[in-house]
Amino acid sequence: MIRKTFIKESKELFRDGRVRIAMIIVVLLMGVSIWISARQYQNTNDQYEAAKTAERTIWDNQGKKNPHSAAHYGTYAFKPKYPLSLVDQGVDKYAGTSIFLEAHKRNEAQFSAAADQTGLARFGDLTPDFMLLFMIPLLIILLGYNSFTKENEMGTLTLLKSQGISSWKWILGKWTALFLPILILITALFIVAGLILSNLKDFGVFDWNSLLWMYLIYSSYYIIFINLVLFISAKTKKSGISLVISLSLWILSCLAIPKVASNIAEDTYPYPTRQEFVANVLKDKKQGLDGHNPWSKEAKLLKEAVLAEHGVDSLHQLPFNFDAYRMQKGEEHEAEIYFKHYNHLKDQFAKQSNVYKGLAAFSPYLPTRFMSMAIAHTDYATHWNFADAAENYSIATQKFLNDDFAKNSTYGNWGYRADANFWKRLPAFEYSPPKLGTVLSGNITNLGVLGCWLIGSFLLLLFIKKI
Amino acid sequence: MFSYNFRYELKLLLRSKWIQLLSIILLLLFGFSIYNGKGKVTKRKTDIVAAKDEVKENDEMMLKLLDSVEKGMQVSASRWTIPTSPMVVGNYHPRVVAMEPQSMAFIATGQADLFTHYVKPKVTGDDFALNFTEMTSPVQLLFGSFDLAFVIVYLLPLLIIAFSYNVLSSEKESGSIRLLASQPIRIQNWVLQKLSLRFFWLSVLVILSLLVTFLIFNIEWFSMFQSFSMLIGLILTYMLFWFALAFLVNLWVGSSAKNAISLLGLWVLFVLLVPSMLNQLSTTLYPMPSRTLMINEMRGLKAEVAKKQDKILDNFLRDHPEYAINDTTQTRGFYHRYMASQRLVKEELKPVLTAYENQLKKQQAWVERLKWVSPAITIQESLNKMAGTSTGDYEHFRKQVVTFSESWRSFLIPFLYNNQNFTPADYPKLPQFTFQPKPKTKQAMVPVLLLIITTLLFGIGFITSKKAKEKSMLTTS
Repeated sequence: MIRKTFIKESKELFRDGRVRIAMIIVVLLMGVSIWISARQYQNTNDQYEAAKTAERTIWDNQGKKNPHSAAHYGTYAFKPKYPLSLVDQGVDKYAGTSIFLEAHKRNEAQFSAAADQTGLARFGDLTPDFMLLFMIPLLIILLGYNSFTKENEMGTLTLLKSQGISSWKWILGKWTALFLPILILITALFIVAGLILSNLKDFGVFDWNSLLWMYLIYSSYYIIFINLVLFISAKTKKSGISLVISLSLWILSCLAIPKVASNIAEDTYPYPTRQEFVANVLKDKKQGLDGHNPWSKEAKLLKEAVLAEHGVDSLHQLPFNFDAYRMQKGEEHEAEIYFKHYNHLKDQFAKQSNVYKGLAAFSPYLPTRFMSMAIAHTDYATHWNFADAAENYSIATQKFLNDDFAKNSTYGNWGYRADANFWKRLPAFEYSPPKLGTVLSGNITNLGVLGCWLIGSFLLLLFIKKI
Repeated sequence: MFSYNFRYELKLLLRSKWIQLLSIILLLLFGFSIYNGKGKVTKRKTDIVAAKDEVKENDEMMLKLLDSVEKGMQVSASRWTIPTSPMVVGNYHPRVVAMEPQSMAFIATGQADLFTHYVKPKVTGDDFALNFTEMTSPVQLLFGSFDLAFVIVYLLPLLIIAFSYNVLSSEKESGSIRLLASQPIRIQNWVLQKLSLRFFWLSVLVILSLLVTFLIFNIEWFSMFQSFSMLIGLILTYMLFWFALAFLVNLWVGSSAKNAISLLGLWVLFVLLVPSMLNQLSTTLYPMPSRTLMINEMRGLKAEVAKKQDKILDNFLRDHPEYAINDTTQTRGFYHRYMASQRLVKEELKPVLTAYENQLKKQQAWVERLKWVSPAITIQESLNKMAGTSTGDYEHFRKQVVTFSESWRSFLIPFLYNNQNFTPADYPKLPQFTFQPKPKTKQAMVPVLLLIITTLLFGIGFITSKKAKEKSMLTTS
């Protein structure tokens, strides 16, 4: 009986012109969006490689120079793009792509793509994630809104009752008829995406496991929508009303609640403005050791401590350049200040994330979105991870430069120039994003919420009693 | 017949609780969105005031220090923070260059969450190093803000669709269409009347709930009556557009569910698909040059310039003989070299930077032309412009910042090259910034053009449905 219901429903869907057109449109748009994203991905990656090598060449060819001048001259860390960003672009458009690493300072990533686009960019892009997160649920609604109401409207319910079919078989038949086309659609899409990705040149960290997880996440998302749509269809009398209610649900969970969440999150846990942030850091810096200022109280304390430690009474007798040593100490102190202030930002971000997680109880879109971005390495957490890695590299670079300065020159010798070959000895900046396991365990709440939605929506189906 | 229709429609809407429900929904949506908008504007204002206060405080300290130095007293500050040096003033005492919110800023967030509203340009560093993006969580930017513009552009059409998708079809489905057909009125006239009445009531509700929310949030709509009526004009024409679509769909398509699907398909098309496709096209047609490659170019240039700083300074002084005459000491330090070479870098980088500006302008112009493809874009752009939060507004601000930082620099540079101290007497002469809002372009054309499009749609509905439509309606039902 399940099979018969399934076959009948599938045939009906297939014969419906609207469904066919909608399917074709979705597949076409999906194809276009994948094509566009793949092109962009390759483009960005080429630029990334070019920029990285060019920057390194500039660094290596500095010639004879004081190490601290080189520290001020600085270098850049560029954020790479990951293969799965082809599927979900996440927040990449809004996060900067390059971080300037210099002495005494921690800079934020600069140059987000959104800042270089018109206001239209805020409507969204035609990307695979837009299709996956917004359009396919709409397609589900279109396929399933009249699943039960039509039996009522066409009068076939009486016929069905005479068949002696049990309720759950009937529901399961309809459920499968709705799920199968969606399953086929996304399976095909993910296989295509996987094939494209594994055939791209230097595809880096792409692994099929991540893609599989993403596939599972999206499948659950669609199952939740299928269950909800079927439930609504069973509980309403007219197709029109069922459609309107399903759509309101869609708008609420995909458009309205994310916006509401973002407003609440920002209201309760605001970020400082850029200028405020800079001013706060400056205030803290003034109170501590400044590597360039030998006359401050902190600098004098450091001097006495170092002299006592080495048992000498003049800085000239030290086996290293005290100027450089102080510079390094100042650097460490400043790094601590930045660490504190960026930790505050991270804290606010963590609290904001909790707001999103809380509101995910009302919207299956939210956990899906966050999971998908996280797996694709295009979420905010990965951006933080990258920024931290760049900062660690920056600190190591400063130490590398200051140590050379301290070891190879004497106190007061600012005229010291490092060898032209010295710069090449600095290891290059390498960044690899968190592994899939770390990502998943970091997003355990989102996974949990999504699981709750999945189970809860199945439970709803139990309340359907039509026969 | 019209008065009869009017009375019947009102009774129907009241008894089916449509009017009550809509009022509550509208009040809630407007209330929440305006609350959000107001909150953002207040935060923006307080941030700017706080920044200005801080500068005031710092200025007092600076004047005290300058005073002490002038009187020959010992000062406790370290050597390079004493403001007698013009570069200290230029770097450690920058002015706040702020973009004050405009009176209607609360209606649309626009680009306000993406860009910063005040910067403090310093005398060193290049203009392009000025970071104009705000420190916001990108998740926030991705989801956007629940502002009045969102309610109007995205949600209002859906309310209209829910309110009008089954005007004719429900009569058909309940069988009362035969009764209607016996009345001395043509079906399309009847649908038109019915929809006009619904449009009328929805407009009344929208205006009233807007007024109520404005009252609650203490917004003096009367003092900005012109902008307010413009806002109403935009909302009403946008609503009318959706009613025109509903009219066509009611006449052309059949059952309630099919109507609803067609209307929603149109909604998805106009509100979601067309904007994202246009955006994609605009970035493909006028791609931004790569920022990462720009960094390479800039770095290469700077490295080159750093190697020949002395030569650059010599050239600069040759071009500006007045500095050689006025200054008797002829001391040349780090800043003399730095400022001269920075100037050179800036000039060399100018074409690179203008490439970005031009490309953005091209994108903007393209969007400006094609925004008529979707009324959703038209209205969103108009609301952003009205709020002073459109891309154009921020570009306008950026230009003013660049101009100001130029005047800031050119005020202090003569001090530097003349090796002249900055004194308390010079303080009042420091350049001040006043923000000039972007002159408003004529927005009145937008509702007028939309109105024309809408009338055309209604006209099409009339002409095509004139023939033989009634018969088919009766036989199929």
